Amino acid sequence: MLRSGIGLILLFIALVFLQVSLFDKIHIFGYATPMLSIYFIIKMPGQTNQNQVLLVSAFLGLCIDIFTGILGINMLACVVTAFNRPFFLKLFAPKDTHGAYTPSFFSFGNVMFIQFAVWMTLLHHILVFAIESFSLFDPLGLFIRIVSSVTLTVLLIAACESFHFDFGK
Amino acid sequence: MRNLVNFIVKNIHWLLFFVLLSISVLLINQNNQFQRSKYLSAARELTGNIHSVTNELHSYLNLKTENEALTAKISKLETEVFFYQRLLDTMKDSTQTTSLVLEANSELIYRFLPAKIVNNSVSNIENYMTLNKGSDDGIQADMGVLTGRGAVAGVVVLTSPHFSEVISVLNPKFKLSCKIKKNNYIGPLVWDGKDSRYTYLTELPRHVDFAIGDTIVTSGYSAIFPAGIPVGSIVSAKKQRDDNYTSIKVKLYADLNKLNDVVIVQNSYQQEQQDLQNNTIRP
Repeated sequence: MLRSGIGLILLFIALVFLQVSLFDKIHIFGYATPMLSIYFIIKMPGQTNQNQVLLVSAFLGLCIDIFTGILGINMLACVVTAFNRPFFLKLFAPKDTHGAYTPSFFSFGNVMFIQFAVWMTLLHHILVFAIESFSLFDPLGLFIRIVSSVTLTVLLIAACESFHFDFGK
Repeated sequence: MRNLVNFIVKNIHWLLFFVLLSISVLLINQNNQFQRSKYLSAARELTGNIHSVTNELHSYLNLKTENEALTAKISKLETEVFFYQRLLDTMKDSTQTTSLVLEANSELIYRFLPAKIVNNSVSNIENYMTLNKGSDDGIQADMGVLTGRGAVAGVVVLTSPHFSEVISVLNPKFKLSCKIKKNNYIGPLVWDGKDSRYTYLTELPRHVDFAIGDTIVTSGYSAIFPAGIPVGSIVSAKKQRDDNYTSIKVKLYADLNKLNDVVIVQNSYQQEQQDLQNNTIRP
């Protein structure tokens, strides 16, 4: 428990640092921006109290917001995503474990984990980009940004996952 | 009760979610000018659209009464316009005469009546005008007619109860005794039948001294016009054939081409003067 706690804190700090210093600067073709901070919400253990998930996610979003200077956007997206996490877990998590898992390729199976990650990321990214543009001024551009960014983020998540870090143990 | 508390504790994450959500929305609204302005303008557009729709419906419902009110207003305004038009006409008449009345104040024998031209010609050799005032208004033959601005226009020759015929200055039969204002040399004013803008002051002695632009006025000898009514200004001189007299080309002040309002001059003592002149046994 202590180990997993320290591991999660390290992950939290690393993700915020990476997000702020590296990923926010990336705009592939002017559209795709990875937001790997969602990885933290994905990787929280299945038994974690929903209140804790919400608070930690809000804090994560707030940290990124403080660094990017646009207060509230990431926080809102993270909170909503965290709130919807149990429904996605119910859909994709293995049924017989009763929450005693940390979402990963190993525990979920490749396909299920990727689906879980895609849905979480999609929700998060839609919220971030929609609030950022806050209009349907350029719907096609918005769509391309969301799809390309989700693709990039999911690829990065898969890459991280292939290192077999298991923070829950 | 315990069930309720249990339920609340069990679903406390909903409450937490909404608290966090509202905090983040508040943060976005507070700190991001762009999103804030977008939100405000969207809200305003929505309310504005609703307002305009209800407004339009409302105006359709009120269309009939609105129309009635407008018609009533239009008729009222038209009446007013008509009233003021008439007032203006009356005022115009009085202002036309006022200056002349003031000028002739020293000699109250002259009275001035406003009239309108109903028929006018300038292009014939012998030109006449018709006025809308006649013997019923006190108009008689041999009364002078001035333009609205007080220049000589003609003399009444014939009257009917409601109309009067005026011989224009643009008529060779019209001879008016005039003088050069500067030095009082007198001669008859005669039109040569050519140009409606110019007439001639004839039978002036050869030694008369004048300059271009000098004013020609009525002499007052004929008892038709008071003395000193402006007629025109000198344009040039032209020698007559016998060389004993000079004839002066005069530009008329009265532009008879666009004359509309005139003033009729009434001389109370005209009859008396003419009778006296006619009855005098000349040697």
